[in-house]
Amino acid sequence: ALRAALRGARRPSPVPLRGLARPARPQSVRQLREADEASPIFQYVGKTAKRKDRVFVWGFSYSGALGIPSFVKPDAGWKKPRRIQATPYRLETAEKISSAACGYGFTLLSSSTTDITKVWGMGLNKDSQLGFQRSRRDPTKGYEYVLEPSPVPLPLERPQQTRVLQVSCGRAHSLILTDSEGVFTMGNNAYGQCGRKVVEDETYSESHLIHQLKEFDSTVVQVVCGQDHSLFRTKKGTVYACGWGADGQTGLGHYNITSVPTKLQGDIAGVNIVQVTSYGDCCLAVSDEGDIFGWGNSEYLQLACVTETTQVNVPRHLPFKVGKIKEAACGGTGNVVLTEEGNVFVWGYGILGKGPKLMETAVPELIPPSLFGCSDSSPDTRVAHVRCGLSHFAALTNRGELFVWGKNLRGCLGIGRMEDQYFPWRVTVPGEVVDVACGVDHMVSLVKSF
Amino acid sequence: LNAVPRRAPQQHVRFLPSRGDGEAMGLVAVRVPVLADHPLVRGPQFRRLKIGAGHRLDVKASGVLVLGIGHGNKLLTDLYNCHLTKVYTVGGLFGKATNDFSDTGKLLEKTTFDHITREKLERILAVIQGTNHKALLTYSNIDMKTQEAYELAVKGLICPMGKSPPIITAIRCLQLGLPEFQLEIHCLHETQQYLRKIVHEIGLELKSSATCTQVRRIRDGVFTLDDALLRAQWNLQSIQNAISDCQLKVKMELEKTL
Repeated sequence: ALRAALRGARRPSPVPLRGLARPARPQSVRQLREADEASPIFQYVGKTAKRKDRVFVWGFSYSGALGIPSFVKPDAGWKKPRRIQATPYRLETAEKISSAACGYGFTLLSSSTTDITKVWGMGLNKDSQLGFQRSRRDPTKGYEYVLEPSPVPLPLERPQQTRVLQVSCGRAHSLILTDSEGVFTMGNNAYGQCGRKVVEDETYSESHLIHQLKEFDSTVVQVVCGQDHSLFRTKKGTVYACGWGADGQTGLGHYNITSVPTKLQGDIAGVNIVQVTSYGDCCLAVSDEGDIFGWGNSEYLQLACVTETTQVNVPRHLPFKVGKIKEAACGGTGNVVLTEEGNVFVWGYGILGKGPKLMETAVPELIPPSLFGCSDSSPDTRVAHVRCGLSHFAALTNRGELFVWGKNLRGCLGIGRMEDQYFPWRVTVPGEVVDVACGVDHMVSLVKSF
Repeated sequence: LNAVPRRAPQQHVRFLPSRGDGEAMGLVAVRVPVLADHPLVRGPQFRRLKIGAGHRLDVKASGVLVLGIGHGNKLLTDLYNCHLTKVYTVGGLFGKATNDFSDTGKLLEKTTFDHITREKLERILAVIQGTNHKALLTYSNIDMKTQEAYELAVKGLICPMGKSPPIITAIRCLQLGLPEFQLEIHCLHETQQYLRKIVHEIGLELKSSATCTQVRRIRDGVFTLDDALLRAQWNLQSIQNAISDCQLKVKMELEKTL
């Protein structure tokens, strides 16, 4: 009976040994190998991961042109509004943006989608340059300042088939180019820059009117806005213009207002033009053979190589000996061209990019390629595109780097400092810059992530 | 060094008493060696050597290490003030992340790396070069608004002449064979641990991870691997040859920069 009782009794479980813990010794090779094989492998991105498209903005934000409302109206009471965004800031967009344009205090972004919303606008809207933006507080009134990218209502006939190719912005008007429905113009028409008849005492703010232009000799492939005039380039290589002409920027042979797009003659007649550009009151056109033609304001020596007059109202050929020209860009007082070899030439007035000594020149001056990152360790770095704002320049290299120089008006250069930059300086953007649009005091860049 | 035959002891003239024949004691001028100069009195010529090191080299790194002997240490400070670039060959391995960025550290994470192509790596290296070029211009403390700043920038001669954080002047990929890769880095004011950190950050940018397996300095200013002495050559004759070969190069470099 005693043995049975002992057999039934449970043996007490062994007390866990409470000795010293084993000290950390340098692990042996076998232990390291086992730890290595046992650890899990993480996959952050697969083999077919796509590069994302992003939009970065910087510059003066109080006009709403940057499209970030928290800069103007902060979302918490203790936060301060940000007047200037000195370095590139990411702007979240719903769609992939294919074309961007900066005007004088406003921005237009467009996507080549077949959805109903193709164009977004932000910034100043006092002349309805962003179309009619219905106010949420009072449905009969419109917004004067648009702080966020808001859809621009376009009166398209086939909204789910037409694609928007390009947008362009001037001082108070904007142009939208579509692939099959011509050009849409909106905004101020005091000088006929929208391509319709000037109506006296017309109020442009809160206007629903968007004009459509279709009568050109062939399809329009590029639209460009100057300060108060518009230029249209067709597939055949002809150029049409309308708007203010007091500086001869319409190039039609007179100094009056034109309210209907009219073909330009002069030295351009018969020449196949492949690019037109304008931002202030001077205009440049590049032909397929690499020649360059200019007309408009020449007060800052932009066209001084062919004429002494300060206003040129007929396109004139500019005999520069810089090589075959691929691309040109016009600013307010200075111009820049890019040749086939990838050289950048500047002329005009202002901070041209060759140090503080060179403030004005009538003959194009070469900016040394070493300033754009071309060196012995990377000899095939070349400038691929040039762009111009009102008083600053931008250059994009084939490696996706963005260089800016010029007057740093309200932080528009995006270099983090507020001082003017007298020679090309890199802008640090987290991605490969595909395109950039320059405005008066802000810039927008289209970037592909790494 | 002490076995090398020394110069003969100096001689001086002493007036020693001479033993005349018999009566008078005269003084005779005798040229005798100075007793204080006798090798048994002086002892070995070299008891200590002052050796100073140039730019530091890690325990885990290898390559060219510049040493100065005796009066050469003064040249070392001058060479430091020249701020010449150093060139490293850095080897790395994709797929692992460790706590001290090298392959002897504790493993933190393993990731996939088959999405990495040479093109993506070159893009990241171009961005690193671009931002470091900007840092080069910023830390040089030159006023960007002057004409001379523009001229120096065109020639590429702007470089920080004082203290600055590590700056990479050029970086390129020598070879890429997944998971291994090799980079050549030209840099200023750097440490080898900084280069290992750069390898780790390149791995992060490529959405994977990387560790550094090898850091080898192949050039330090004017001294390249050809001037360096191997372990088997650490004898007096080769050291003396090396010193005489480098003397001319160092003098020219100092005259050019300072």
